[in-house]
Amino acid sequence: MRLLVCVKQVPDSTTRVKVAPDGTSIVTDGVTWSISPYDEYAIELALEHKDTAADTVVSVITVGGPRTKDALRQALAMGCDDATLVTGDGADALGPLGIANALKSAIDALEPDIVLCGKQASDDDQGFVGPALAEALGWPHVAQVTRFEVVHPGPASPAPGEPQSSEVVRPGPASPAPGEPQSTEIWKEVEGGHEVWKASGNAVLTVQKSEKDPRYPSLPGIMKAKKKEIPERALAGVDDPVKIEIVQLEPPPARGGGKIFKDGDTTAHAAELAKLLRDEAKVL
Amino acid sequence: MTPPTTGAGALVLAVVALLGFGAFAYRAWRLYRYLRLGWNEDRRAGLAGRLKDELVIYLLQRKLLKRPYIIRGLAHAFIFWGFIVITMGTVDLLLSGLVGLRMPGAESGFFVWAVDVFAALVLASIVLAVVRRAFFKPPRMHIALDGYIILGLIATLMVSLLVFENAGLAAGYLAAHQAVPPFAQLLPLPYPPDAAGTVFAAAWWVHVVTVLGFAAYLPQSKHLHIVTTLPNVFFRSQRPRGALRFVERIEEQETFGAATLRDLSWKQHLDGYTCTECGRCSDNCPALATGKPLDPQKIVLDLRDLLLKEGDLLLKDPTATGTPPARQLATKPDELWACTTCAACVEQCPVTIEHIDKIVDMRRYLTMQEAAAPPEAQRAMTNIERAGNPWGEAAGTRGDWAEGLGVPTFAETPDAEYLYFVGCAASFDRRNQRVAKALAKILRSAGMSFAILGSLETCNGDPARRMGNEYLWQLQAQRNIETFGRYKIRKIIASCPHCFNTLANEYPQLGGSYEVVHALQLVQDLIEQRKIVLGPGPAESVAYHDPCYLGRHNGIYEDPRAVLDAIDGVTRMEIEPHHRERGFCCGAGGGRMWMEEKVGQRVNHRRVEQILAAGDAKGERPSKVASGCPFCLIMLDEGVGAKGIADELKPVDVLELVAGRLTDTGSDPRSKETATA
Repeated sequence: MRLLVCVKQVPDSTTRVKVAPDGTSIVTDGVTWSISPYDEYAIELALEHKDTAADTVVSVITVGGPRTKDALRQALAMGCDDATLVTGDGADALGPLGIANALKSAIDALEPDIVLCGKQASDDDQGFVGPALAEALGWPHVAQVTRFEVVHPGPASPAPGEPQSSEVVRPGPASPAPGEPQSTEIWKEVEGGHEVWKASGNAVLTVQKSEKDPRYPSLPGIMKAKKKEIPERALAGVDDPVKIEIVQLEPPPARGGGKIFKDGDTTAHAAELAKLLRDEAKVL
Repeated sequence: MTPPTTGAGALVLAVVALLGFGAFAYRAWRLYRYLRLGWNEDRRAGLAGRLKDELVIYLLQRKLLKRPYIIRGLAHAFIFWGFIVITMGTVDLLLSGLVGLRMPGAESGFFVWAVDVFAALVLASIVLAVVRRAFFKPPRMHIALDGYIILGLIATLMVSLLVFENAGLAAGYLAAHQAVPPFAQLLPLPYPPDAAGTVFAAAWWVHVVTVLGFAAYLPQSKHLHIVTTLPNVFFRSQRPRGALRFVERIEEQETFGAATLRDLSWKQHLDGYTCTECGRCSDNCPALATGKPLDPQKIVLDLRDLLLKEGDLLLKDPTATGTPPARQLATKPDELWACTTCAACVEQCPVTIEHIDKIVDMRRYLTMQEAAAPPEAQRAMTNIERAGNPWGEAAGTRGDWAEGLGVPTFAETPDAEYLYFVGCAASFDRRNQRVAKALAKILRSAGMSFAILGSLETCNGDPARRMGNEYLWQLQAQRNIETFGRYKIRKIIASCPHCFNTLANEYPQLGGSYEVVHALQLVQDLIEQRKIVLGPGPAESVAYHDPCYLGRHNGIYEDPRAVLDAIDGVTRMEIEPHHRERGFCCGAGGGRMWMEEKVGQRVNHRRVEQILAAGDAKGERPSKVASGCPFCLIMLDEGVGAKGIADELKPVDVLELVAGRLTDTGSDPRSKETATA
């Protein structure tokens, strides 16, 4: 089984982001870059599958400039088998539809069975590339995924572009009939629980969380990843129909100091607190 | 006295000696071959220190005579010294019995006297040891049949020695020129005088055969330590105690940490042969004391047992790997992760076994090879990688604590004499930021020329290294060494003992040698030289908690106490008996600060109980507990909070107490202006 994880490199959550003087971008100097957290969950989910089914091949792909190769190395260090960088002039400036189209052309060549994406990137939180990619591929899309399991490996992947379906099934193990095409049971998080969906054939999953924390790479993994060749695919000719423009970025306002009740008795404090919560904070 | 080995006797003796020594040699050779499965660590450097160790630790039994083990330590010392003297007597006995030669000096009055007196002392010590094992079982000591067999053999040796001396005297076997054994002479004769010759011969044979039986039994027994302690002490690590072993060319290694028994050095295996199973390490382990699965003695013995079990397999097949030591038992990783690297075990071990190195080597395997560190530890390491601190606080905000305090950065004052290496805790933890501010105030008051690195500083790597991530430590250390080099920094002040330890003892492994002081050492100097003057204050009782990485790891016990004593009104209280070299860890070392502690009692809660108990024993509970470590402070704060006594026992850093008493009179206004400029 071939799994492909699409990742995006974003400023690490430990970085304090500063707005650049132009007011529409951030200062990239001194920023630590890492894989977007939901994408890390997607990698972990794919690797967990590989842990249980050894014939699984986990590939990772990103679209971007030379810097984004580090994200691919990080994914390789975690245990992904190979990586592809889709790059070229303007790779960093592509809109989400352009990214989806760039990924599609690579996926046509790589022929994975399942594509995993994080449900959204931690920088712009758009959550758009995954569904757009499914649309571009003509594959079904399942969102908020927390787990998936191949219930029937199937004879071979259907030809790309062929319409496929996904259906809601009742939770519980399904026993596939012999000769049935590959099908995957997919757990998606819903309010208060989860649903199990089944996809026959290819699918795009956008991942909410993996059961375990994304794994820390082993040192042999890091060393191997350093030496691994990362093939590049040219971005040329990718259709990027919709331009989204950032009008203005502003840092969040500084947080005001809290109030601490120090002296006096607790009953008075409680009364005062209730008053402030009602009148000032207006939360009661 | 003439040995009863005329004619066939000498032949019988020769056969028995051959059997005894042969059995010893056969087994010893096998043990040696197992030991050489370990990698060939070079432990030859530092001869002077090694000879000194032999004198102090081996001959003078220094590490046995530690509180609270004085009496049993003395008993051991008598057995040990007796053994040396009596072994010489035994050599003489065998020589004279086999070939009729006497050892030079064997007939001197002094030697005869020494053998006799030590035989009596050893016998008395044996009685003490048996009584102790049988009726006052020491906690955690491994009591097994082996111990009784050994004690029985030694007792047999001593009794037979005294008996054959006594009977030899009665039988008139003593040549005219020979010295008289004083003690044996005093003993009554419990047999008819005409049987003296027979008794002499019988006792002599019992003695000599027991010696040879002892030799044969030795390598199967924990008593092998009488052979292995000498080399084990000689080859003990001459690194500073706080420094872990450096992994050279780490990027070129194929496996990391102790993946197999071959990845532990021959010295680590010698440690296993040398363990006497006395249990002092376990006795002092904070993890074991609070119900964790770690038992330092078991760490050593498990490795030894694995070597004995799989040694043949590994010898037969050079490609065989055997069981990874960190996976020897399903529970082994839990044992390893419970260690705080506090060094209480290393401090107490009478035969200089290196527990922490083994634990860290196995952690290195789990962390680097298998990427199987606990999730919280992994998160801390990811945070160090990405943000330069284990909490994952924004790297760019590292210097924010100093805003508005007039503390310059090296970018602003590149010529500053001292770097204050603030460390992650004092940079980001709000409670510990107050300690950083206190130190800054003290340094400014003393007119010191110092600066910080601000956001250019990054974690020194200590937590990663102790969690087994040598690679990350090396990366962090190299980054800091580069930054230090850029500003030509030579002198460093650290307020965190973990920063202090790794900067002072471990950075030299990567070529970064600096003059590093802990803030409390420096403050003690400043007080002594009257560069700062402390004003009066209210009377209060302050307990001093020894941070492991100041005390045991670096021997800094006196300076923090001297600083406390210099503060007017402060009465220092010792947390007896868990103070100084027996100080009890706060629970945060070895990377435990960032790991959850779900099993047993929390170590810091036990520590708070010890502080209260020590106060109660003296009739006055302290109102504060002072330390010199940010992690101790966090742990003690949590401890008093959980026990609901935060108002009665306030954890502080000694630096805060000093800063609160600063007066202006001590400072030199000129240099103060320079510092603030």
